[in-house]
Amino acid sequence: MSPVNLPWSVLADYRCFGCSPHNPGGLQLVFEPHPDGVCTRFRLGRHFESYPGIVHGGLVAAICDETMGNLIVLRHRQSALTVSMRQRYITPLAVGRSYLCVARLGGDRDGQRLYRASAEVLDDDGTVCATATASYQPFALADMRGRLALSEPELAALSRALAGERGGP
Amino acid sequence: MTAPRAGDDIIATVTGIAAAELGLPAASLRPDTDLRAIEGMDSVKVLRMIARIEQAYDVELDDEVVFGLSSIAGTADAVRQALAEQP
Repeated sequence: MSPVNLPWSVLADYRCFGCSPHNPGGLQLVFEPHPDGVCTRFRLGRHFESYPGIVHGGLVAAICDETMGNLIVLRHRQSALTVSMRQRYITPLAVGRSYLCVARLGGDRDGQRLYRASAEVLDDDGTVCATATASYQPFALADMRGRLALSEPELAALSRALAGERGGP
Repeated sequence: MTAPRAGDDIIATVTGIAAAELGLPAASLRPDTDLRAIEGMDSVKVLRMIARIEQAYDVELDDEVVFGLSSIAGTADAVRQALAEQP
């Protein structure tokens, strides 16, 4: 299946810890379409270890957040920040083993302006090892101009990409 | 996962999820069945069952509640309460 084209890819040197291919210390996650949303397959080495042989739980949360967050951005065509997240750990993830994280959009709740999503991490047998839910606050890139380290051409290019248009700065 | 509709029999849904997690026929489980006394059940299976129930109803059950649950009826009550507390 073809990887999902993320809007951030129009930035030549974006360094997102979760999904940038330009960050050697990051997770370099690649997302694919999934019947329920998007998914990413990952296998973490010892540099992401907690107890010996066990993946650090913070990384599991980061992967769930990254998968849900990108799903929100892709579906709503708007940048968004995580405002709350709840992680349930069922079984520890093993270093060196392959897992799949699947994210789904959550149901909208009346009177709420936040986007919601859920995620689950499955092992190769399809057994669920962790679940997560999170809420995301949408924001306009222009309103965050003072916080984002982006040039005006990069900001314009990213705005176009978020809107579904492609093309670099 | 499709969320059960409002008015669904929560006990039936919880029973179905518990049965699937244990590989047992749903008919073998009653509302007052002690989940932790079922042969083959362990804390991981209970937690996995809870995770499935939370996904099915789009709710978050408090850990204090989760780790005190012992029956299907009690689990259904916790879901009902969580649904009632949703904004």
